[in-house]
Amino acid sequence: MNDLRQPGDHTPADRIAQMIRVDHAGEYGAARIYAGQLAVLGRGEKGDLLRHMAAQEAQHLRAFSAMVRDRRVRPTALLPLWHLAGFALGALTAALGEKAAMACTVAVEDAIDAHYTAQAIELGTTEPELKQTIENFRTEELQHRDTALAHGAEETPGYRLLYRAINTGCRVAIKLSERI
Amino acid sequence: MITPPERSAERDAAIDAILAHVPFDGWTLRALHLALAEVGLHPDDAALLFPGGAGDLVEAFCDLADRRMVLDVAAMEAPPARLGAGVSAAIALRLARNRAHKEAVRRAVSVLALPQNARIAVVCGARTVDAIWQAAGDESADFSWYTKRVSLAAIYGATVLFWLRDTSPKEADTLAFLNRRLADLGRIGALRRGAEALLARFTPAALRPVPPAGP
Repeated sequence: MNDLRQPGDHTPADRIAQMIRVDHAGEYGAARIYAGQLAVLGRGEKGDLLRHMAAQEAQHLRAFSAMVRDRRVRPTALLPLWHLAGFALGALTAALGEKAAMACTVAVEDAIDAHYTAQAIELGTTEPELKQTIENFRTEELQHRDTALAHGAEETPGYRLLYRAINTGCRVAIKLSERI
Repeated sequence: MITPPERSAERDAAIDAILAHVPFDGWTLRALHLALAEVGLHPDDAALLFPGGAGDLVEAFCDLADRRMVLDVAAMEAPPARLGAGVSAAIALRLARNRAHKEAVRRAVSVLALPQNARIAVVCGARTVDAIWQAAGDESADFSWYTKRVSLAAIYGATVLFWLRDTSPKEADTLAFLNRRLADLGRIGALRRGAEALLARFTPAALRPVPPAGP
């Protein structure tokens, strides 16, 4: 990782633990968002699309859960909050319509993409295995975003407002889950 | 995992040597000087090895016991199959190792009970229950990570206090006490599963939690 560590900064091992903690929390939240969307739209024509994305998120969650176990990382204490907030976000946006649900996906996946990119840069040449996992998952998250855009995410009324609110929320959640 | 204190062969050797002196001198600089002389270190190293004094000594003692417990469980010929049995075995091995140093443990508990050492007490406790679950082979990656550690902290604390007054051979009474407490904990789990099964009947499928991650 970077060599510009200052006294009082986290040790590399601590940073790796933080990364795995927040990634695990993020994938947990993502799985819950799709669960919320499926609860509303599961029987609609977008059902299969959502199920495919939800299955991929479940796979990401399994990968990070395994890392939490194997590296003895403390999972975030906010999991119960993300459990509820993720589901609520997914169900509420889905209730606003299919296109609003897609806008939610775009906002979330954009935040995750930026977050994974920052992590990959910070890792540099250390932890090639973790970095590869993050890169793979990032590619899939970007596919989700592009799928959502192709399904008319930007046509939903108040798209910019919705996007900003959800994107900011995600970034706050990421900051919180790293530490707590 | 909570960041461990400094780990070095010198510190471990000093802790092993000090245990015989603690019953007479307590977790003090005097006892440390005697211990350092025994392991061939200069008394002036005391301040370098344990700059925090008694609190540092006790923290290092707990950390050493944690590490040995994990190794002891890993070296068991028949590893326990169930989590509860693993927890019980880990604590039994830990107590067996400290059997000869009961007085040192008693003194350590009183050091940790001092208000200025409250932080060390919490950190040591958290590290110890984490090590017990690790030794038992716990694999939780959800919120039960926290509930498991909190409930075990209560049980472990009570068990140590029981053990300090236990005079039965091979701490048989303590282990019986521990197993009764673990059984109580199991009853809470059974109660919860019953309640969840009842709730699931009234919850639409979509609102049920994400199934626990498996392979």
